[in-house]
Amino acid sequence: MSRMEIYSPEGLRLDGRRWNELRRFESKINTHPNSSDGSSYVEQGNTKVICMVQGPMEPSSRSQADSTKATIEVNLSVASFSTFERKKRSKSEKRMVELKATLERTFEQSVMCHLYPRTLIQVDVTVLAQDGGLLASVTNAITLALIDAGIAMYDYVSCISVGLYDQTPLLDLNGLEEKDISTLTIGVIGKTEKLALLMLEDKIPLDNLESILGIAIAATHRLRDLMDDEVRKHGNVRASKLAKN
Amino acid sequence: MISQRKRLSSGLSVTSKVFVRSRNGGALKIVREHYLRNDIPCYSKSCQHCHDIVKADAKGELPTFILSATPAKLNSQVGHYVVLDTNIILHCIDLLENIQCFYDVIIPQTVLEEVKNRSIPIYQRLRGLVKSEDKGFAVFHNEFNEHTYINRLKNESINDRNDRAIRKVASWYNTHLNENNSPEKIEIILLCNDRDNRTKAKAEGINALSLTEYIDLLPNAEDLRDLIPADSTLSNELSNKENETTFPEFYSEARILAGIRNGTLYQGILNISPYNILEGSVKVAAFKKPLLIVGSKNLNRGFSSDSVIVELLPKDKWREPSSTIIEETTLGANDNAEDADENGDDDISGTNGVVSDKERLLLAQEAIRATTAASEEKRLQPAAKIVGITRRSWRYYVGQIAPTSVVGEDSGNSSRSCFVVLMDKTLPKIRIRTRKAKEYLGQRIVVSVDAWPSNSRYPNGHFVRSLGEIESAEAETEALLLEHDVEYRPFAKNVLDCLPAEGDNWVVPDLINTDDAQLKKRVDLRDKLVCSIDPPNCVDIDDALHAKRLPNGNYEVGVHIADVTHFVKPNTALDQEGASRGTSVYLVDKRIDMLPMLLGTNLCSLKPYVDRFAFSVIWELDEDANIVNVKFMKSVIKSREAFSYERAQLRIDDKSQTDELTDSMRVLLKLSKKLKQQRLDAGALNLASPEVKVHMDSETSDPNEVEIKKLLETNSLVEEFMLLANISVARKIYDAYPQTAMLRRHASPPATNFELLNDILNARRPGMAISLESSKALADSLDRCEDPNDPYFNTLLRIMSTRCMMAAEYFPSGSYGYPEFRHYGLAVDIYTHFTSPIRRYCDVVAHRQLAGAIGYENLDLSHRDKNKMELIVKNINRRHRNAQFAGRASIEYYVGQVMRNNESVHEGYVIKCFVNGIVVLVPKFGIEGLIKLELLGDVNTADYDENKYELKFTDLNGKKRSVAVFDKVMVDVKSVKDEVSGKRKAQLLLK
Repeated sequence: MSRMEIYSPEGLRLDGRRWNELRRFESKINTHPNSSDGSSYVEQGNTKVICMVQGPMEPSSRSQADSTKATIEVNLSVASFSTFERKKRSKSEKRMVELKATLERTFEQSVMCHLYPRTLIQVDVTVLAQDGGLLASVTNAITLALIDAGIAMYDYVSCISVGLYDQTPLLDLNGLEEKDISTLTIGVIGKTEKLALLMLEDKIPLDNLESILGIAIAATHRLRDLMDDEVRKHGNVRASKLAKN
Repeated sequence: MISQRKRLSSGLSVTSKVFVRSRNGGALKIVREHYLRNDIPCYSKSCQHCHDIVKADAKGELPTFILSATPAKLNSQVGHYVVLDTNIILHCIDLLENIQCFYDVIIPQTVLEEVKNRSIPIYQRLRGLVKSEDKGFAVFHNEFNEHTYINRLKNESINDRNDRAIRKVASWYNTHLNENNSPEKIEIILLCNDRDNRTKAKAEGINALSLTEYIDLLPNAEDLRDLIPADSTLSNELSNKENETTFPEFYSEARILAGIRNGTLYQGILNISPYNILEGSVKVAAFKKPLLIVGSKNLNRGFSSDSVIVELLPKDKWREPSSTIIEETTLGANDNAEDADENGDDDISGTNGVVSDKERLLLAQEAIRATTAASEEKRLQPAAKIVGITRRSWRYYVGQIAPTSVVGEDSGNSSRSCFVVLMDKTLPKIRIRTRKAKEYLGQRIVVSVDAWPSNSRYPNGHFVRSLGEIESAEAETEALLLEHDVEYRPFAKNVLDCLPAEGDNWVVPDLINTDDAQLKKRVDLRDKLVCSIDPPNCVDIDDALHAKRLPNGNYEVGVHIADVTHFVKPNTALDQEGASRGTSVYLVDKRIDMLPMLLGTNLCSLKPYVDRFAFSVIWELDEDANIVNVKFMKSVIKSREAFSYERAQLRIDDKSQTDELTDSMRVLLKLSKKLKQQRLDAGALNLASPEVKVHMDSETSDPNEVEIKKLLETNSLVEEFMLLANISVARKIYDAYPQTAMLRRHASPPATNFELLNDILNARRPGMAISLESSKALADSLDRCEDPNDPYFNTLLRIMSTRCMMAAEYFPSGSYGYPEFRHYGLAVDIYTHFTSPIRRYCDVVAHRQLAGAIGYENLDLSHRDKNKMELIVKNINRRHRNAQFAGRASIEYYVGQVMRNNESVHEGYVIKCFVNGIVVLVPKFGIEGLIKLELLGDVNTADYDENKYELKFTDLNGKKRSVAVFDKVMVDVKSVKDEVSGKRKAQLLLK
């Protein structure tokens, strides 16, 4: 694996992108209008995620009800065919539990939970294919699904992974790159510089953090615009349908 | 393969690469994204379009356009660029590096990747060529360019697809430059040795040439023709009829992998015995003793220091290491270089067989002896044969053409085969083809090895360049540097650009009125009475000392080391150059610097009477030289005086000198003696090596005298404090960076290393033995081994034990557990090199880490990353070893030159005994030489007693004599030139 040249001296990455280029980003909302209150589908490169949101609704057990705010529950399932080698993953795997907790905490802050006391917002995410940047794609998918469900949020939470190769920050890592270099994932609220999520699973030297954050924040703003376009496009379609009726 | 392309934004589209990989019997479908873009420039200066499309990298730098606007013209009077194919690069990398040809070259990414998959070293050399920019090599990422990316067709093999991609590059360049963008016509030539590919290219309208055709077109074709490597495909086609002439084929990769996994095959580095070219050993972790590989069939084309796969032989073939001397020159000296590849059918003599008769004879003698004297089971070593070679150690080799292999009449211009005998005795002759064999006779030449097909007795290679007349000082020095892989070319411009612009006029800036935060952290130590003590005429002074008595009765002692890292910042070209050189190399008449002169001898050098930046270690030591506390700081010092060891000694001894500086030196001397005693008490070893120094005539710079190095008290004064500084720094940086601190360890020698020596001692000096329980025990036992009749015996034993020791090595602290940090020879638990940053790269790293540890500046990433540290360490360990060998070889050469004029009789000691010769060490010159039995006396009457390490023979005058290991003998020392290898060396003759 060491034979790979993550970033060539000519400034190109393994898949032909430059250091500051995002992968192909495609999203759709309201993909499952009949089986959920809000749904979305996100592709970032070869990472593909479906998300469905139920609620706000009455929780099945009393214990989940909070009298002051809504409870957000994220269920993450990763398809066994999502990686090149088939592998059954259990939900109780430590990594999965950690991701789930991270996502719940992120959205508890970005959703206006106080508007929905004593309710449950249930988020079901299915990962269809993985090729790096899993957490980022899942977060983006949840944002879109929540918007589709009409749940009040402060702003979009757009999320991206970024790595550091030598001194060069590399944006939106794919699976190969992620295996080789350390990765930081950040989620930004709207077009601000407020972070809703920051996840680093290994080490990045402090002196380089600023340049990495700079490029990552710019990228999340770009992603927010892409998601916003999709939401507005869908909105227009829905509005025109309503007008016809 | 999916061929859809999806446009994302302007100039960027995406497709996907799909391929199937098999793994453990299962098939795995892999899908990757592949982005295609239109902003990849053609890198030609004459292009008027590409300058507008380039994009900057993360540092905001734009790519440089490297292909010249007015490239070299061929016969057609049109300038040309060359597009290379993979096989050209793999076979002719030397030619590409040659400065006489190959300018303005385009390397398609497809080719680059193929090269990388085939050979990492060649890939790195290619990358080096691209990076250096002086030859105009450009990498064109055709796979990512939307105009040149092609899909694999149905039923097309991957090789055909890649060939097509390369042709596409050539035709794209042709249209891109000539049809729209370049004012002047530029011809694109595709260079390819594959005939099929060339035909296809020509059909597509591309000018495709083979290497020979291309070279013939060049104006300097005459000089270059010899440099074209032997075509390996050619010799493979040659007759394979004669079974005897073939080496066993290597095992297939799958078989080797399986063999290693189930433990029937082993991997290791081949090490050919310096005394016997037909005997090699491979050290394998699974066995205590190295595996022995005997005979050329078992060695199976292995070169010394190749990484090889071996298979054990049955136990009845196990044997003890041979005690016969076999040199390449004695074997098959009369082989005809032309024979093997020209007319295989008139092979009458039988010398073409891999195993020649002479070799068989020697082996047979060995075998007889082995069976008769098989009593000593314990000396038996497992034997093995080589069944695969994973990595060749091939590099440039220096040698000379064997005169016997050059055919008499020189019939014009056709090229002929001849043998090149290499300077390294453990390597076989190399067959090269050249037109100018006559011209190169008597010269040192550089050759490179291309291949060793299984049906050839000798490896095939090609001529690279000539260094000059044998025995001219320049040629010999260069040969020596090349042989030891020492980088001796002058520093490149981009390296020199990293030096301060002021050059020699640089001075220490004002410390007080400054805004520089780092400068403010420096401590002003200019009031301390600092002085330096070095060998006479030393110009790169990297350490200085001071001492002062404190009011509380303790002493303040400071060691100040040149602050090299102030000038050598990480990740600059200067730093990379230093890291790759690793160390300065000291030859008798020459010094190859690690860092440019300006730094080494001026800006960093702690010269007297001027202010200099330093990195200081300051201790408070009590009366018994115990450390009370220690401080580290970057500082500014002003050395009061630069002493030589002798002058310092005189000044200390001179009772009339009572000034403060002399007093402080006396304090240093007193403390250093205590430190030394502490060290010896802890078990530090006092080993010896036969080091000598060559004096040069100051006018003619001819060597004229050899002297054994003298050691003064002041030598050990400096040494003790340097050791103390190194130890203190090692503790500090290990504390701050437990995973990556740059340290140095010296493993305790395994008992097997001393087995032979103890056995000899037991036989020759009953009652004496070397004990190995600890370094203390070893030191004490060495002290006890005194021969009252011979004061030199003890030193001799120390020299021989030194050779049984492990080599000390650098390592990042994460790679061993703390107990293994131990430095056996110095008897300390942790050690590093800190005190000579001008001439060792380890010290540079230690400086940076110490600066990080005391919070002076942030430590660079590369010294905090374990993998990168491993790489650094691997390189400097190798460089360090090579530098030592080069230094020794240089001394050996000059000693030979000295003795050329004065033949004389000296005392020598026998240190090894063989069946057909002895090895004698002459302390006066620090040389050792082999005396073969033929020169000792009658070969037939000789009798070797293995148990007593004794050789009995009748000498040339008919007298019976016997010599044994440790015997003192008188030898006639004279210098002779070895006609075959052209090496001058001392020849010894027993008196």
